[in-house]
Amino acid sequence: MAARSPVITGLGIVAAPGRGVGAIWDAIRGGTSGLKPLTLFASPRYGPVLTGEAPHDLIALGAPVRGSRSDQLGWLAAREAIAAAEIDFKNCAERAGVVLGCSVGGSFDSERFLTTLIKRGKMHPRPTRFHECVSVVDLVADEFGLLGPSLAVATACSSGALAIATAAEMIQAGEADVMLAGGADSLSRMTWGGFHSLLLVDAAGCRPFDAGRAGTSLGEGAGVLVLEAEESARRRGAKVLARLSGWGASCDAHHATAPHPEGAGAVAAMQAALRRAGLASSVINYVNAHGTGTRDNDLAESKALKTVFGERVPPVSSTKRFFGHALAASGAIEAVVCVEALRRQEIPPNPGFTTLDPAIGLEPVTALRSASLTHVMSNSFGFGGNNAVLIFSQPETPVLTRAPRPTPVAVTGIGVVGPGAVGVREIEPPLPAGTVMAHSCGALADAALLTPNQRRRFCRLVQMALIAARRGHAPDSAQRLAVAMGTGFGCLEEGAVFIENSISKDEQEPMPSRFPGSVHNAAAAQIAIDLGARALNSAPTAGEISFESALWQGMSQLATDEADAALVGAVDELNKYPLAIGSRWGFWNEQTRPGEGAMVASLARSEKTAAPLARVTTVRLGRYRRPFDAAREADWIAAVVDLKNVDMVLSGAKGWPALDENYTAVVTALSKRAGRTLEYQTYKQLCGEFHAASAFGFSVAVDLVRQGKRGVLLYTLSPRGAKAICCIQP
Amino acid sequence: MCGNLRAKFYELIYMDALANELKARIIESLRLQDITPGQVDDDAPLFGAGLDLDSIDALELVVMLEKYYGIVIKDIEEGRPAFRSVRALAAFVQARRTS
Repeated sequence: MAARSPVITGLGIVAAPGRGVGAIWDAIRGGTSGLKPLTLFASPRYGPVLTGEAPHDLIALGAPVRGSRSDQLGWLAAREAIAAAEIDFKNCAERAGVVLGCSVGGSFDSERFLTTLIKRGKMHPRPTRFHECVSVVDLVADEFGLLGPSLAVATACSSGALAIATAAEMIQAGEADVMLAGGADSLSRMTWGGFHSLLLVDAAGCRPFDAGRAGTSLGEGAGVLVLEAEESARRRGAKVLARLSGWGASCDAHHATAPHPEGAGAVAAMQAALRRAGLASSVINYVNAHGTGTRDNDLAESKALKTVFGERVPPVSSTKRFFGHALAASGAIEAVVCVEALRRQEIPPNPGFTTLDPAIGLEPVTALRSASLTHVMSNSFGFGGNNAVLIFSQPETPVLTRAPRPTPVAVTGIGVVGPGAVGVREIEPPLPAGTVMAHSCGALADAALLTPNQRRRFCRLVQMALIAARRGHAPDSAQRLAVAMGTGFGCLEEGAVFIENSISKDEQEPMPSRFPGSVHNAAAAQIAIDLGARALNSAPTAGEISFESALWQGMSQLATDEADAALVGAVDELNKYPLAIGSRWGFWNEQTRPGEGAMVASLARSEKTAAPLARVTTVRLGRYRRPFDAAREADWIAAVVDLKNVDMVLSGAKGWPALDENYTAVVTALSKRAGRTLEYQTYKQLCGEFHAASAFGFSVAVDLVRQGKRGVLLYTLSPRGAKAICCIQP
Repeated sequence: MCGNLRAKFYELIYMDALANELKARIIESLRLQDITPGQVDDDAPLFGAGLDLDSIDALELVVMLEKYYGIVIKDIEEGRPAFRSVRALAAFVQARRTS
């Protein structure tokens, strides 16, 4: 079955060379690099290296005050894209969602809190309010009134592209008509110190594909696309800029930071995108390369390009020297560049290249040139060997992509770490001393499952995830394995150790081994390496619905036949910062105790599974209106779930007290619709409050179904507006 | 002749001490568990086989060399030959310190 692929009706961008699509193209046409010596913060060790900084004062440009620097960048790009698309969400809020790639999140702002704490011994936690990567998504959804699915994708440098791919899948699956899709990341001392500690930064500015290339340049910014079902665009008479005809994702399953030397994962992602678009490689007219300027990436990418395109590699350029490497935003920024290239029929150049590297044997486009462009490809590769490739085409080209075949999905394995026992947790320096009662998993009993090098290299969060994955992996399940591992906060501990050290020692004695483990997709990537999972590898982050977001992505891979099996789950860990800040803000009390844990489930297509533990018949993501309207929420659930087959609702209540009433009201409304009283249970009294907790709830639901329930609804609300429903049946 | 031999003798002792010191620092900076300096062979490969270190461990060794020996490595290629074995690393440290 085939379906028309989504179209692009609006673009927005803010980055080093300027703000707005027009300004960016002027810079590209003029060959003007946006790199300038760093001024956003002082770098005692590395100095004012060439960097792609966006304007310092984003509020002056209209960005809302509430939000981190990343959030504000994302908001600015979203505003431009929405204005360009001339779309009014008032009448289609439920059918409009947002997926953004974000990996730095509020780190830049949280570092202000840490600096004050470490250097002056004062605790002013306000800047940490927007620490989570999903913060930009919640801000954009709330400010522009979107009530469709909302989540962030945090797979480091491929996030922006993978977010666009995920949004496209949501449209294909009929979850939404319009999606804001892209990415936003600010500079931060964390990523700055991290990339420098890995010796991946060229102080002279990146020179992608050049023989003398010596690293990348960091950057920041945001790119947002209005992605729309073709039907919807036609209905409202929107101007169509381009079509997203294909997208593909893969994992190297090779190493935490280094790409596969032959670019095997990059090849797989490019081929997956071509396959999905139903295009031969020979019709691609231009490739916007990932081209970071690091020795390993550019070499591996050039090999991958030759494998995919053979002797006839189309014109290639990396635009990284215009923008700097804006990490999670880069894939989105480059998507904007590709759509503009198509629209203007111009190939952007690759500044920084002067000398051919014989090992690469590939000369990128060095000056802007006019060309007849029908299909262009954009590559994005990230830490953890995480690859995402997008193909954009002229709007009128009739490109058909494979339509999803939604199907109930079988749960073939479950692995859980947690729930932890309640005990006293001491809060350690540099925070003021204190204690919190918490559900801690303690010393990981099954750490012996891991090799000594895995125990040494991996932070606690990754270890928890790996143990859960080893337990939950159904070994007979197939070759093409996808992994989607949700997380709210990611590796807080590892990141904290790195940045505390960096701030207290003024960047001296960096800790390179702590940086790769601090990215949100560290757990997903290590699971992939451990189990050889080479299909999609994702780390969705969406607060309380991080697990359901992972579940959606995993099920989507099965529905589109991009994987034979999927490991989905979520993980979060206890850490002194949320403990201390939560105490200060009065979050933690008798009812709401912090917790931690990991859960991984194996999924396979139902018809291919003989004796599943349970089946997932529905998963749906969205946002609720405020003030909360229980009847409307019950409608939203009843629209996709047959209440006749449901015995029980299992909710995320007993976490944030403010949500408890909402949950109860929805259960009452659902009972009314069902014409009988649905049983109502909660799970957070067992595992504590943490973003990944609904993954534990899922394992409870599977158990309940195995014990005879005909159907359990897992219902989750986030205090910031997101919601998810998931139906588990025998 | 005699003086030469003596110098050679002292160099050997010195290199041995440096190698032992490096082993302890490798174990410390990489947080290696269940291993003592005595168990690390001077000639065994540090990467791939042997201790089975990886490229991120190499970067951690770069930081260690700067912290304890004042040797700054800006390009990992520079350090690559030195990370073959403890003996190679000791020779590298010795050469960079005296140069």
